[in-house]
Amino acid sequence: MGSALVLVALLLGAPGIAAATATQQELEESLTCQCGCGLTVHSCNHLQCQSGEPMKKEIADRLAAGEDKEKILAAFRGRYGEKILSAPTFHGFNWFAWLTPFAALLLGALGLTRVLHRWTHETPAPVPPVATPVDSALRSRLERELAELDREP
Amino acid sequence: MPEIGRLAVCLALLFAAYAVVSSILGGVRRRPDVVRSGEHAAFAVAGLVVVAAAILLRALLQHDFTLEYVAAYSSSSLPTQYTVAALWGGQKGSLLFWAFMLSLFTAIVQIQNRDRNRALMPYVTATLMTIAFFFLALLTFVTDPFERLPVAAREGADLNPLLQNYWMMLHPPSLYTGYVSASVPFAFGIAALASGQLGDQWIRSVRRWALFSWSFLTLGNLLGARWAYEVLGWGGYWAWDPVENAAFMPWLVSTAYLHSVMIQEKKDMLRVWNLVLVLLTFALTIFGTFLTRSGVISSVHSFTQSGLGPFFIGFLLFVLVVSGGLLVYRLPDLRTPATIESFFSREAAFLFNNLILVGIAFAVFWGTVFPVLSEWVRGVKITVGPPFFNRVNAPLGLVLLFFTGVGPVIAWRRASPRNLRRAFTAPVLTALAAAAVLGVAGVPPGFAYLTFVLGCFALGTVGQEFWRGVRARQAMLHESAPRALSRLVGKNRRRYGGYVIHVGVVSAFVAIAASTAFRIEVTQPLKRGEEMQVGKFRLRYERITTAEDAHLSRLAAEVSVWRDGRQIATLAPEKRFYKKPQQPTTEVAMRSTLTEDLYVVLGSYDRDSDLATIQAYVNPLVSWLWLGGIFMACGTIITMWPAAAERRATAFALGGARVPAE
Repeated sequence: MGSALVLVALLLGAPGIAAATATQQELEESLTCQCGCGLTVHSCNHLQCQSGEPMKKEIADRLAAGEDKEKILAAFRGRYGEKILSAPTFHGFNWFAWLTPFAALLLGALGLTRVLHRWTHETPAPVPPVATPVDSALRSRLERELAELDREP
Repeated sequence: MPEIGRLAVCLALLFAAYAVVSSILGGVRRRPDVVRSGEHAAFAVAGLVVVAAAILLRALLQHDFTLEYVAAYSSSSLPTQYTVAALWGGQKGSLLFWAFMLSLFTAIVQIQNRDRNRALMPYVTATLMTIAFFFLALLTFVTDPFERLPVAAREGADLNPLLQNYWMMLHPPSLYTGYVSASVPFAFGIAALASGQLGDQWIRSVRRWALFSWSFLTLGNLLGARWAYEVLGWGGYWAWDPVENAAFMPWLVSTAYLHSVMIQEKKDMLRVWNLVLVLLTFALTIFGTFLTRSGVISSVHSFTQSGLGPFFIGFLLFVLVVSGGLLVYRLPDLRTPATIESFFSREAAFLFNNLILVGIAFAVFWGTVFPVLSEWVRGVKITVGPPFFNRVNAPLGLVLLFFTGVGPVIAWRRASPRNLRRAFTAPVLTALAAAAVLGVAGVPPGFAYLTFVLGCFALGTVGQEFWRGVRARQAMLHESAPRALSRLVGKNRRRYGGYVIHVGVVSAFVAIAASTAFRIEVTQPLKRGEEMQVGKFRLRYERITTAEDAHLSRLAAEVSVWRDGRQIATLAPEKRFYKKPQQPTTEVAMRSTLTEDLYVVLGSYDRDSDLATIQAYVNPLVSWLWLGGIFMACGTIITMWPAAAERRATAFALGGARVPAE
């Protein structure tokens, strides 16, 4: 289970496992604007938004003060709750958010592979012999009509 | 006049109820006269709903502020085109618009099937009229569009300024058309289950309806993206908002159906799966409407929220129970001997393509509902936003792009090593060449790089198919290349139309990857005459201009755009201040080319210091997204265009001759 979590985390570029230096933009994209727009702090430019600009300024100030990403996100989370984060964390129940789509897909792929394996190994029903062989007159008529069809506008 | 509108809705409700009952009774008791009576009632519903919609539109155009709906969603200064758009701009009007389209589509289905599919039609009519009954019941008992105000308003509150955009004239009707027309394949699916006519006749009857619905869902999603891009002013076009997701999910499942149905047509397999996809597509359209109306999940589309959520979730449950029950009841009859000869076959490729499409739809669904689940289980509100959807869907999208390349050229039944070499050598070489060129050009390895390479692979397969087809015709029939191309497409519209759609899909993938990975953005406060650099562009803030009319006032920043020492454009991003309701909006200014969009927003303006904050973005290849839409539309038209034999049959039928009834 542990190695599966690490694999999914790597695939998703999870913070904490795939470490990276945080930038202003990265932090703004990690936080949801609280004006109700549903966008990240980075994307929100609503004119009546009272939330985005102060948050951008606070991020800039904290980065300038040398705080790292985890500490800055923790500060916002402490103030607004978990809903401030723009994506579920990689902890506890939230793992279900990340793992379920891949688990469902994996199960689907396994099921499909199994079904395909069964279908490819089933013997097809014998094809009954052709009752009436196609005579040459019929064959030439068929070819003539197909050629006519092909010439149609 | 509004009273006549209300009466029309009430009568339509009664006729819809009659149509449901008489169609089912006629179907069960095999009474063609009773079935016809139900069909006539469905025509009456169409006529009555057209009257109701026309009356509401007339009230809007005449600024009849005695009506609550007209007063809430229009004003006397609202431009005419947006007054027309107000018909679907509010909840009551949009429900009436839904009923209007559904009743029209039902009438078209009745005309198309006057002398065919007679065993299915009672249940088709009953299903479509049940859906109409639901919407008409809401309009009659819950949310009356013809409700009068106790005292007439002196002036209307106006349409939401965000909706006052020309794309909003097109986006909702397109999406509604896609949603509502998905009812037709659903109705035929239910009819097949109810009547026991489980062969592929119903599938063939709804092929064009399924394509029609898919194409309008595509168009609706793209027009919505274009609206967001121009109106919301954040530099992007897709925010994974719950309501965007709600429109995307049926598109994904419908796309899966359009592929898997080919296997049923070829091999009479996957009957159950195709029925599930058709039922699911319709259920997702209702789920999408529930999301939009209920407000259970916070959304940028909050202007459509209402208390209708419980009604939609109830109807959704009813749909799921009835269709699921019928499916389980008919399961023994739906089983057909299924054989696929090899994993290396088009059938298997289509099945894996289905898995990915439905997997993405599930991932989107899961991300959309997870906040509700989290609150329910943990009591903690969380947000599932763009980072989640981008991370989860990006790898799945790459796999889908791979199958977009594999599906069209891998052989049916079994691809031998020779078939595989013949089918994939050129596309794989194209992809490898693209990988090398991109590497030399300095494109960093990552999702965007992989998207470009796989996109070239998929385009390689399509290009190869066209090339080989044209060459074969030239060799056999000595046609010129343009004539061979037009004949090739004309003689097999479905196949080559599908390839054109694939080109559009690849174009959209490339646009999304490039504009996400290589976007440049700069925000800078500028005084008059000052400049800022954005990528290869230099922007100079020249002056501010103002204008005002009865409806709104404008504040526009004139920004000259320079490149390589030469002025190439003047842009004027605006802030608008609408007077009713008093609300500011952003008007983006853009210089759009095939290679990139220069996207400029006036962030803020301080009159005292004459300081304008300019937000500028360089979004690479965004035009390819809209271009992809055009390719998809052209491909759909090619695919749906009737063949010569069909045109002759239609002309014959219209000339008075009738195909004998079943």
